[in-house]
Formats: sequence, structure tokens, C-alpha cells
Amino acid sequence: MLTRADLAKYPFLNEASDYIKELGISIDDIASPDFSPVLERAEKRLEEALSKGRVSNEFSNENAEILSFPVSNLILSLTGEERAQRRFALAESKRAYELLRQESPEKLDYIARTTFGWKLNKIDAQLGKRFYDFAIALADYLRNSVHLKEPKWKLPNRILDHGFVYATREELARLLEEEVRTKIVERSSRPPGEIPKLLQPKVERTRGLITKWLGVPSHYELPKVPSPESMPPCVRHLIDNLAEGKNVQHMGRFTLASFLVNIGAGEEDIVKAFKPASDFSERMTRYQVEHIAGKRGGRTKYTCPMCTTLKTHGVCYKPDDICSTIRNPLSYYKRKARILTGKGAET
Amino acid sequence: MNPAEQVIRQKFQQYYLDPKRQLDPPPNPSEREYGFLLFNGKFMVRHRSFKDPVSLLTAVRDLVPSHVYFSTAYYREPTAPMEEKGWTGADLVFDIDADHLNTPCKPDHDNWKCKACGTTGNGGVPKLCPKCKNDRMEEQTWLCDRCLQEAKEETAKLLEMLYTDIGVDHEATRLFFSGHRGYHVHVYSKQTSQLGEEERREIADYLLAQGLEPQLHELEETSVGGTKLAEGPLIGQPGWRGRIVAGIYDILGSEMDQIGLSSTQVNALRSWDREDLLRKPFWSSVKGVGISTWKTLVKKAVEKKSAKIDTVVTTDIHRLIRMPGTLNGHTGLLAMKVPEERLDEFDPFKEPLAFQGEIKVKVKESPGFRLGEERFGPYHDETVVLPSTAAMLLLCKHRAEPVA
Repeated sequence: MLTRADLAKYPFLNEASDYIKELGISIDDIASPDFSPVLERAEKRLEEALSKGRVSNEFSNENAEILSFPVSNLILSLTGEERAQRRFALAESKRAYELLRQESPEKLDYIARTTFGWKLNKIDAQLGKRFYDFAIALADYLRNSVHLKEPKWKLPNRILDHGFVYATREELARLLEEEVRTKIVERSSRPPGEIPKLLQPKVERTRGLITKWLGVPSHYELPKVPSPESMPPCVRHLIDNLAEGKNVQHMGRFTLASFLVNIGAGEEDIVKAFKPASDFSERMTRYQVEHIAGKRGGRTKYTCPMCTTLKTHGVCYKPDDICSTIRNPLSYYKRKARILTGKGAET
Repeated sequence: MNPAEQVIRQKFQQYYLDPKRQLDPPPNPSEREYGFLLFNGKFMVRHRSFKDPVSLLTAVRDLVPSHVYFSTAYYREPTAPMEEKGWTGADLVFDIDADHLNTPCKPDHDNWKCKACGTTGNGGVPKLCPKCKNDRMEEQTWLCDRCLQEAKEETAKLLEMLYTDIGVDHEATRLFFSGHRGYHVHVYSKQTSQLGEEERREIADYLLAQGLEPQLHELEETSVGGTKLAEGPLIGQPGWRGRIVAGIYDILGSEMDQIGLSSTQVNALRSWDREDLLRKPFWSSVKGVGISTWKTLVKKAVEKKSAKIDTVVTTDIHRLIRMPGTLNGHTGLLAMKVPEERLDEFDPFKEPLAFQGEIKVKVKESPGFRLGEERFGPYHDETVVLPSTAAMLLLCKHRAEPVA
């Protein structure tokens, strides 16, 4: 079904890994000068992804194209930089999408089935003006569509027939892009076994690139001192309501406490925020805040609920422009703090 | 425990101690967490696990809880604290409850009181107190034929969509009466057990048609040589497409006065043969009815055809849910399995009755109601000797006190 040219296009496929195994190449072989094109290409993949968020295709040397991909992954995993791993995965998956959308339904079907284990049917249906080539099993559809924001991906706007969601070829390619992205993030964040010496300088160089293009990590971290001006409308509203002695429901209280815990507010300050509540109990509040902060019970530090959850529970309040770009109140805080401290827009 | 609770607990105990009693726990019972709400101070015993139905029944006989729950989730260690249980999957569950339905009888049997300012009102409880905007409300509800009939209709719509759209297996699906104001549907299937919260939210949104945009189902207007032509989904198409048309068909056959159309539009639609909907493209065949009118109709059709589930229950992947075959402490009625083919004829005021004998009670206030073939009430400050089932309903609903 797949040719070597296909593996060069899609080096994340199971068949690509099998192909490398068949060649009998191990990571130590990379030291050999024969493999310098592989190393060069691996570094170029990383540099392009980090600098432009894009990776170009170089099909002239198919073997280098296939072999360089796992090397890029390995270098990235050695840096331990999550932001870079995500950015690389996004760039590689976008590159794949541009190619996937031009493939035949048969090839798309094969890739979805074999590498990603999807259940899907090839269909040939025209409804209205659109042609649907595929019906994708609901679970496979949902796993990849829930993160896509456009209304057309919402399940009520799809054609759903006995557990299968109709999709055009283009749409299937887009959903595969999501699957590819997830797979690459998993691969590049997997801790490597032994570190080949040869790669050490490459790892250092990549760290430099990450700093150059993505900035020093601390720039992306939260302000050291909690900044009330950076809080999203929902959190401010919760604080105002409490201050006015209005009752705030459980989900609202949890949102506020988990938000404050995560932006590094002190326990005393958090307890103070709840003080005006009509049913305030210092002991209970302290206990719950400690629980959320992971100092009690299961020792899990809770994160703030997602915006979708807050919408469902009526905690979301007067969303503004920044809100439309984020999915969690904590991201709002980070972004706003960056804007206010003049660190510029996120790249 | 107050005197009413003592009587209720005693009757519950008798019920559970019956040697013939058996519990019918869900599949993979040992991987679930069980919870019991006790009469004693409304205390919740959680994080329990049982290897088989017999040990579970022993615990129920021992504790005599007012409510018995099991987790829809399966865990590696069901008794560990929440964060360490090791979630391995969860049933896909749906809850249809009269609380979420807008039945016209609610003002007759439900009322509420604001805990902050004391304002009271009849009908379903509002989200916020209309006077002081507080959200802490006390409510008193009742279960009536009409509410439960509507819940049944919503359940039928839910099941239809689960089978034809979501594609769940008949064999994997169980239907239960909750013992109060609604029905539960459980899907025990590998295909759905791994779905996360966000994925389940999409399914809930689908059933409620939340966020459905007609133009994404290709309801649109095109201009052909200067004439505007409306196009849209057709009957027989899968999913919401065909259902939208079926919904419009229903609406055209019934009330059209209060759906926001002008009388001219209503007349145009009335004089048109709605059977055309079931034949071929019709969106441009009614004079004076254009795309915006159709959009209004689509909105109504979607409202009519959607299943009014409680989204919180479906999206919560750690939920404790009532165990069928146990008594519901809100009513004294049995939460029980309803064979799906019998949903239509199932009588929630007859089949879940669990007690024998009579109890003398003093009723404060109660609407009239039916149990089995017998009608009771309405009562107002009176002492009566009632069949246990009726007395228990009044006691559980805090409408009566036992008389020694």
C-alpha cells in the first residue's frame, strides 16, 4: 500500500518505524559520516519548526527524510522542553496535513486504520452539495474533534449515522492532523534511554534555538506576585460577589480557590478572599484551600476548570477579547500579565 | 433521626431483610465504588467496594441506607481516595428528570422558597430569587402522572437517538425508572467506556442539539438567475438532517400560533400540503415562506425533537448513580429496571410499589395523587390511615408525620 516516498512524507507512520528497523540502523550509527545528511535534516526540521512553526519537505533524499524524524524527536525529548515539543508536533502535523489532504481516499483510509487504529468506513454519499468519502467511528471522531473550535466540528452540526460521523476527505485529513500531533507530542516527550554522546552538542544547540525563538521559559511563567489586573472577568466577578457578601455556588468557589492557588497566591490571601461570604468558616475554608493546593487528601494540586465547564455551570461572566483566545482562566491570566508587563505577544 | 425517618428506616429495613430479596448490580461490580446515604444525619458512606451481589446485599441490610449508589466509573482500586482510585473507564449514562422539564402542571404541585429573603413561589424553582437574586433555594416537588409521562416521552426520544445516531448496542443498554421523577439510561459498552468528559459533553450537546447551526446542515438560500431558492436537509437523511424535517412535519400538523410566525406565514403553511415534506425538496415550494421562516421552524423542530437530558450526569465520569432494585429515599418507590419494549405501558405509580400494610399519618399538605388503582388526597392538616405505599410517599416527601 505504501511506498518509500510515502514514508518520507509521513515518517510518523508505523511502517516508517518498521522500515528503519529493517534497515538495521540504530542510533549509534548516526555517528558515521554516511549519516550526516540525516543529522543535518533532523536539525533543520527542528530549526524550521522552532523559528517558523513550519517544516518544509525535502523528498530528494527519502532515507534522510525518514530517518531524520526520529532523530529530531530524540533531540527534543533530551531537551525536556515541553513548549518546543508541542511546537514541533504542531509544525510536523501541519506539514503532514498539507500532504494528506491530497491523498486518495484509499490511502487515507489505510493510514487512519493501521497507524492510528481508527474504525472507519469508506462511503460515497452526497448530501446537499457535499460529498462524503468517510464515515468515522464516533469515538475516533470525538477524540480528535473536541479540540477544534470551529462550529462545523461540533457534534450537533455533523451527520451522525449509527455511531459513524460523515466526513469529507479534507475533513478526515484535518482530523488526522490532530492525531499526528498527539502522537508526536507523546513520542518527543517520552524520556529517552541512553543518550548517545554524539547528540549532546545537538541538544545544546537546540536548547539555544528554543531560547532564541521561544524566549527564556521564565518569560512565559506567571508573574511572581499575583496581579489582580490580569485576572479574567469570571474570577473578578467571583471576588466582587464574595466581597459584596453575595452567595457564590460550589463551582464558583472551587474556580476561585483553584485559580488563586495556581497563580501562586498565598494561603492567607486566599482565605481572606472568602472571608466576606455569609457562610464563611475559617476552618473549613482553610481545609478546602489546602486540599485544592494538594497539601491534604490525595496530594493532587487541582488546576482551574476549563472555560467550557465554567460555561456549563454558569460561572463564565462577560467574556472579553482575550477570553476568545483561551480555554482556561489561567491562560487568560498568563496572557494578560504578559501584555501588561510589556513582554509582547506570545509566539 | 426524627419520627418520620424512624418509620421510613424501619420499613426500608423490612424490605431489604426479605429473604427473597436480591440485588442486581451492574456489570463488573467489583471494579466500582459504592455509596450509601444514611438516615442518620444524612451521612454519606463512600468508597466502598463489594466483590459480589451477596456481600453488597449484606451491607445494605446492615446499614439500611435511604439511598444506594454505585459509581458509573470502574477503578483499579475502588476504595482508594478519589485521586488514587485509577480510573479505567465509565458507563455512558443519561438522566431524564422532571426537574429539567417545563411541564405546565408544576405550579400545581411544586413550590420554592428563597433561603435568604423568604420569598416563595409556585412552580419549578428559578435559578435566582426574583427578589434578592440569591441562588439558595429550598424546593418542594411532587411527582405526577403528567410530569412522568413527559419524562417517558423524552426517554423514548433519547433511546431512538442513542440507537440510530450514537450507535449504541441494544444489548448494552439498560433502562431504569429512578423511583422519583424520571428515568435513567445506562450504556455498558467498551466502545463508549473510554470517552472523556469533553467527548461526553459533545454527545450531550448532540442529544440536546445544543449549538446546532441550520446552515451547517446546508439550510441555505441560493440565487438562481435572480430568483432566490431555499435549500436544506431532506427526510430520510441520517442524524439531525432527517430529524429536522420530521420535526417540522410534526409542527405543521399541530399548534403553530405561538412559534413566532406571522398569521400570513401560518396561513401559507396551513394551506400547503405538509406531505410534500416527505417527498422531495420542498424548501422553495411554499409561497411567502422563505429562509428566515424556515429557520424559525427549524429551531422549533430541533427543540421538539431533542432529548432533555441532564448534561451534568452524562459528562461526569466519576458519578455515583442510583442502584436499580433499591428504594429511593425521596419517595419509598423502587428504582427498577424497565424492559425497553415496555416503556410505553410502564406505570411508575404502580410497578415500583414496595410495601404492605397500613400506616397512620398526619398529613400537613399534599396534592392529590394516584398509586396503583387508588386515588388519594388532596390532604390538608388531617390524620388518615393509609396503605403503607401512600403513607411512605408522604413521609418521604416531608408532607406528613407518623401518628403513634
